[in-house]
Amino acid sequence: MCQAGEARRPLPLMFVWLSACLAAVCFLSLLFGAGEIGPGASLSSLLGMREGAAQHAEEAAFVIHELRLPRTMLGLVVGMALGVAGALLQAVARNPLAEPGLLGVSAGSAFAVAIALMLGASAATLRVSVAQLGALGGCLCVLAAARMRGVGNDPVRLVLAGAVLSGLLGALTSMILLVDQRTADEIRFWIVGSLAGRHLEDLQAILPSLALAGVITLLIGRPLAALALGERVAVGLGHHPRLVRLLAIGVVALLVGATTAVAGPIAFVGLVVPFAARALAGPDIRRTLWLCLPLGPLVVIGADIVSRLVVQPSELPLGVLTALIGAPVLILVVRSQRLPTL
Amino acid sequence: MDLSSSSVMSHDAPQTDGAMQASRDEAQVAPPTGSWRLPLPFSAAHAVLLDKRSVSANLLLGGLLAVVALLSLCLGSALISPLAAIRALLGQGDAMAVFVVQELRLARLMAGLLTGAAFALAGCLMQTLARNRLATPGIIGIDNGATAFAVASVVGLGISLAPPPMSLAGAAVATAITFGLAGGAGTRGYRFIVAGIGVGAVFGALTQLLLARVAIDVANSAYPWTVGSLNARSGDAVLILGVGLAVGVVIAQLLARSMAVLRFSDAVAQGLGIRVRLCRLLALALAVGLTALAVAVAGPVGLVALIGPEIARHLSSRRGVPLVGSALAGAVLMVAADLAGRLLFAPIEIPVGIVTAVVGGPFLLWILLRPAARDLT
Repeated sequence: MCQAGEARRPLPLMFVWLSACLAAVCFLSLLFGAGEIGPGASLSSLLGMREGAAQHAEEAAFVIHELRLPRTMLGLVVGMALGVAGALLQAVARNPLAEPGLLGVSAGSAFAVAIALMLGASAATLRVSVAQLGALGGCLCVLAAARMRGVGNDPVRLVLAGAVLSGLLGALTSMILLVDQRTADEIRFWIVGSLAGRHLEDLQAILPSLALAGVITLLIGRPLAALALGERVAVGLGHHPRLVRLLAIGVVALLVGATTAVAGPIAFVGLVVPFAARALAGPDIRRTLWLCLPLGPLVVIGADIVSRLVVQPSELPLGVLTALIGAPVLILVVRSQRLPTL
Repeated sequence: MDLSSSSVMSHDAPQTDGAMQASRDEAQVAPPTGSWRLPLPFSAAHAVLLDKRSVSANLLLGGLLAVVALLSLCLGSALISPLAAIRALLGQGDAMAVFVVQELRLARLMAGLLTGAAFALAGCLMQTLARNRLATPGIIGIDNGATAFAVASVVGLGISLAPPPMSLAGAAVATAITFGLAGGAGTRGYRFIVAGIGVGAVFGALTQLLLARVAIDVANSAYPWTVGSLNARSGDAVLILGVGLAVGVVIAQLLARSMAVLRFSDAVAQGLGIRVRLCRLLALALAVGLTALAVAVAGPVGLVALIGPEIARHLSSRRGVPLVGSALAGAVLMVAADLAGRLLFAPIEIPVGIVTAVVGGPFLLWILLRPAARDLT
């Protein structure tokens, strides 16, 4: 662990800085919204000042506590999960472009939920585990593709396969939605990917699996770092590459499935966040993972705030904004002369 | 549609420029195996070389197209027998059938036929000039660029004539960005395509942004565009597409020989006397224009541009570039997909874009994942 300290910037300091930024963004997320409660009213409500009509103040308190607070909490959780999932998937696939949304993992999970609903499951109960199963299926499909001849050593080709897979699954999902009206009504607002209108109970449903994912991630951090040096080195150091990879894929499925279950499919976060984290922390996967924790929510909540403000009084789907941020990063990575190998 | 004359690799024989060949050309040259020699009526010295396999492939596709087109006139919520459909097409038979065939189904059939042909022809041109069978306009973001601009014109201007020119502008912008970012098509292989996917994602997000900004009924009127459907077609746009396609097929046919040589390396093409840059530029402009006009009618149905040429390539001989075959196969695909979308879950209609995505996705994966033994070179 101590060798990690020899990189240029000390990790704890960066972590504290980013967390401070995150706290500021969370505060902003409580202040701004698409509705009539502006930053001034929100601030006075948060500070406990009762100015103006009592009804107005009550309305502000309601909006903040019942709408914006759950939303911000959800953004925190979703951001962390997607950031970590992206970093892990990239480490396993040894490919800086591997991103759950791009590779069809989120699409697989959304497709699984749509199928389950069509077969008669009710939205409230089944969703999380079904979404996680779908995510696992998506992961396995893509990694099977990566193992095929000619694809594994070309990072870009893997992304192409993933893009095709997610396009296919997306088309199948929209076909189900068109044919089955009940399913469409149940998940119409969920399928576009958004943090709006969720409750704290939704969050509670996914916390156990996220905790499990967190514990496993802590355990496989070291072996993953060794794996980055090559299969033989990892075996020589006493690790089991196959087991580690399987565990990492399981974690990705848990994380992506859980976030998709509450917030719908959100692409590109898992690309942007590890990209930024690697730029800050260097190649060590453990350092990258730590920085993904504050960076992920920073991106997600920041994008969510913008999505409330640009088309007032309505809102944008979050996926639109993450695509606008993420696609240029994708192009940037592809354009760089030498793709960094992981 | 005159199949035989448009499907040839036109070949002037005897060649008069090479002095060395002059003596050999005195005698009647036997046509190469697998082709017919068709003397031109107005000049005894010139003849056309017809590739047997390409001609039969095009005839086959043309026949298939006729069958599918007839089916799409017959089938639907009201069943009409093939004979009655043909009679209705000519304005005979009972008034109900005439109305259904002429007013409802014929317009839709024409829209599907023309868009399919335009998409697939553009796809074939693009694949050939990029030397990559995945480099179709839909995949490298041109469809999405055209869609974003067309939707902007619908939600912003609300004029029925606006989409074609706007989608032309959008397609041109997206092409310029993709090619600019990737530094040309030939140099970086798959990176070019992923850059295109990124550009496409940005334009897709912009379309969503535009739709989120306007009132729900305006957004609904532009919705079919975002998935690809023949529901929102406007007569003007179809007319413009028809004219564009007619011009495009002629230009493509003039380019056909150069395109066939363009599959080799630039040095070889140049050595054979092809003006590579000019040829590429023309083919690119043609592909972009055709895609844009087709998007203005039906929205992004990009996978037709990938599957159509692939089918044509399998059927035709490998000597030339199957431009006409691609257009025919694309038309067949589009009409068949639209028909399937209308019938499968009737009365619910599946947009043609979704049908092609469901059918084309596995196909695309297969192209991508199989061993690269027969890549387009």
